[in-house]
Amino acid sequence: MKRFMLSAAAALALVSTGAVAEEYPTKEIKGVIQWGAGGSTDTVMRSVTPHAEKALGGTIVMQNMTGGVGAIALNFVARGKADGYTLLMGAENPLLYKIMGLGKKDYTDFVPIVLLARGTPVLVARADAPYDDYAGMMAYIKKNPGALRMGATGPGGLPSVVTAMMTTVEGKLDVIAVPFDGDGPALTALQGGAIDVMPAVLGAAIEGIRAGKMKALAVFDVKPQPYLPKTPVITSFNKKYESFLPWGPFFGVFAPKGTPADVVAKLSAAYAEGIKHPDFVKLMEGRGFTIMGTSGKEAQEFLTKWQQNTAWLLHDAGLAKKSPEEFGIARPAK
Amino acid sequence: MDALMAFLTVFITPKLLLLSALGTFAGVYVGAIPGLSVTMAVSILISFTFSWDVYPAIALMIGIYMGGVYGGSRTAILLNIPGAPSAIATALDGYPMAKRGEAGEAIGVTTVMSFFGGLVGIAVLALAAPFISDFALKFQPRDYMLLAVLGILLVGSLSSGSLAKGVFAGAFGLVIGAVGLDPLTFTERFTFGFEALTGGISFIAVMIGMFGVSEALLQLHTVSAPVIRQKISRIVPSFSVIKKYLPLSLQTSSIGVIIGALPGTGGDIAALLAYDHAKRVTKNPEREFGDGAMEGLVAPETANNAAVGGAFIPMTTLGIPGDAVTAIMIGALFIHGLNPGPMLMIEKPDMFWFIVGSLVAANCFMLLFGLTGLRLFTKIVEMPKSVLFPLIMLLSVVGAYAVKNAITDVYWMLGFGVFGYFMRLYGYPLGPVILGVILSRLLDDNWRRAIISEREDLGRFFEGVVSSPLSLTLFVAVVLIFLSQIPFRATFRRLTRRRSNVKEG
Amino acid sequence: MSIENEQHSGSSDATPGGYENKRRPGEIVFTLVLLAASIGLLWNAYGISGFEKLSAPGTVPMAATGVMVLSVLIILARTVQLKRVMSERLGKHILPWVVVIFVLMLGGIASLLEPLGFVPTAALFLIAGVKILARRGWGFTFAVSLGSLLLIWLIFRVVFTVLMPEGVFPEAEIVQFFRDLTKSGGK
Repeated sequence: MKRFMLSAAAALALVSTGAVAEEYPTKEIKGVIQWGAGGSTDTVMRSVTPHAEKALGGTIVMQNMTGGVGAIALNFVARGKADGYTLLMGAENPLLYKIMGLGKKDYTDFVPIVLLARGTPVLVARADAPYDDYAGMMAYIKKNPGALRMGATGPGGLPSVVTAMMTTVEGKLDVIAVPFDGDGPALTALQGGAIDVMPAVLGAAIEGIRAGKMKALAVFDVKPQPYLPKTPVITSFNKKYESFLPWGPFFGVFAPKGTPADVVAKLSAAYAEGIKHPDFVKLMEGRGFTIMGTSGKEAQEFLTKWQQNTAWLLHDAGLAKKSPEEFGIARPAK
Repeated sequence: MDALMAFLTVFITPKLLLLSALGTFAGVYVGAIPGLSVTMAVSILISFTFSWDVYPAIALMIGIYMGGVYGGSRTAILLNIPGAPSAIATALDGYPMAKRGEAGEAIGVTTVMSFFGGLVGIAVLALAAPFISDFALKFQPRDYMLLAVLGILLVGSLSSGSLAKGVFAGAFGLVIGAVGLDPLTFTERFTFGFEALTGGISFIAVMIGMFGVSEALLQLHTVSAPVIRQKISRIVPSFSVIKKYLPLSLQTSSIGVIIGALPGTGGDIAALLAYDHAKRVTKNPEREFGDGAMEGLVAPETANNAAVGGAFIPMTTLGIPGDAVTAIMIGALFIHGLNPGPMLMIEKPDMFWFIVGSLVAANCFMLLFGLTGLRLFTKIVEMPKSVLFPLIMLLSVVGAYAVKNAITDVYWMLGFGVFGYFMRLYGYPLGPVILGVILSRLLDDNWRRAIISEREDLGRFFEGVVSSPLSLTLFVAVVLIFLSQIPFRATFRRLTRRRSNVKEG
Repeated sequence: MSIENEQHSGSSDATPGGYENKRRPGEIVFTLVLLAASIGLLWNAYGISGFEKLSAPGTVPMAATGVMVLSVLIILARTVQLKRVMSERLGKHILPWVVVIFVLMLGGIASLLEPLGFVPTAALFLIAGVKILARRGWGFTFAVSLGSLLLIWLIFRVVFTVLMPEGVFPEAEIVQFFRDLTKSGGK
């Protein structure tokens, strides 16, 4: 009992002095997931974090905090202490908050711990659509203006970026954009025939394509995907797409700006170890994601470039609410 | 033969059977505590069962799911606080029974009927999954919208007092459901410029506040009144009772399976639709609905447990979640190296049959745990009110917070608790508020999707409704139910009453 | 049918409280508050997107708030015609002192939860609540409230890892301490 009291006192003493970096972590780490349970960000985070925990020798308790297209979670973590005990587990879209008028903060208020993986967009159509590839679809749109129903997921989502690319390259498309709250429901609607075409991340569509419930029209990348070797890449239809690709959504773990560098390094190392685990590799490959494992300066550069490219692309296509210039996002060098 | 073996795996492997039992047991309690949701429990289990094999993980999750859907009815009956959204309709007639000291009987019937509904759901899953999922996929945005309208029309059957007050409550619910960033265009609605409001108001928080806190506040009026002793001697209902409700429960189970199989609708909507159905088809209930009618217990409980099997239909055949819990299970299957999708049933039929087997096992355990261990539960209601009510209020706070880890939801929950207290006192029904919140997104999103698809043209929209047999059927149902809601009788009664008042004056 | 039977406590939802053809104290004020709120919400809904198009984000909210305003007007028109229940007083039948105290205490929870943290706030609330209602000795009050708080904390915080606001209470450190204790014990 005496020993218990002593240790309890020691534990309390630790609180008052604050944790020292060498001993990090001395308590549970809170990981705030930007999206709801069962989503792809949630699945990725819950599958990699247990491996990273082992490498770190600490506990990371994950909680989902949804709302405001992820802005609520982002602002919550940004407001918190920069001590490495509150982390943000998110996807790419916060980089577009500013130009979409959804928030004043983005990843520039954070330090990237690790960028885990990135996805590839693919354009899919319902199985009985009267065209089999991208060129056929374009011809169909020209012949039947205002008839094609294309799924969307709100401003700044993957479909909006793909649409921006298509508008920039092919000129204004006369299609109906039907909005859904996520690519899952949209792909369900595609199989039911409520929409005709949907730009989606490969991982969400791959099982449907394999089963012939939907067909892939084009892969939005410069080289063919190993999971869909027969589907032509978009650049084979129109070379002009090359200037925007490769592009894709990604997942990452972030800490608020000002978190001690050695704490960030410790976490980065733990996650670098975690993503090597064969289970995680298998999961990512099965869903058509490319593992990144980027951290430090390299990750910072990736984020900056991604934001510049996408923000200006959306702005030039007339899909952004505010100009990237307002936030000092430089136009990418051509 | 392989299918049979896969089906039996859970029964012949002691470890799996134990996990299934454990899961179901935990599920009953998770379901019974408002704020602890099955969705939450299952998503925590993902990180917990991460390193396990896939079979034990699935057996445990299915147990929690099945037990949780059932468990919500416990607190609904005993405390008038639904433990889960799917038990809202159960409170309407279950609590009046508990007030008479018949909680034991109510729980007994609920348990047996949940078991029955669960079995129907599983049977449909096992025998007709591909057929049903093809049917469910056929639902277009306009059909979902019509379904939501059909649901909204239940306001009449959920409000026994003034219809105007019920309509007000339902419309208010629709507005609560619209608060936050609109999911389709990210436009702010009813946020009044507060960032915290962009996340919307969790409808669990509304439910906990309206049912939990407001009930507790109301009961403070009678805090010193003696506690009602519950008769728990006769729990297992007699065979003749079960036989009597068999036809009704088959109908309501079918409602449950279909609604459960539709992506985007689940046990909560199924239970409310089933309650309404029971109210329509029951000619001479022994007791009035809302006053402890047995039919009002049987209908929602069969429907919400049948919806469990229903929710697995699109999940196993297409990889499309039927509700929030199956969405998480899809994530779990991914983590365990499986690729849930249309190919799963073709490439890994064993997995499908294992899921069916686990559901059967969980359903049986639910029956077992439902009929035993009642004493502890009834002890909770027989606790002195002076301890019970502060505890209920505190649990409501934790529960509201736990849904989304948002302190704003706690504020809303408390606000709605106080507001709900006044609503009760002045004769406003609370059921329609929850109904409105549940259906708000379904109605709004799909209405907009439908009209966008027709290029904002109402003429083309109606053309679409008339040309599709499914939409037409739903539309006719909407019109018929709407006509039946117009209170001809009540208007007549009011007219005559006014006349008699005039005479008195 | 006597008036007694028509009145209902309101504790079962399907048969809400109130009288069918009499009004309770404060009912007109409540209806007026609802009317004001409904009109405010209708105005706010109009502000979302106006009458832009059928698929605009404000269309359904406008319809819903419109229905709210209409139904409240009907309710108000009916309520003012009804006679008041003479046997009821606002202070006794609508807002007795216990209810007022508990509503204030709930307000206290809301404002203290974040700065003070869940555990201390909940402890204060339970102790005060049980003391006020049970009117038993301090020993009973403390034992019952702290015991049940511990149980709730264990279920939510430890089993379900719901991270309530910490405030001044060093929860994470305590959990880590016990985790270390069980780990070293396991070795």
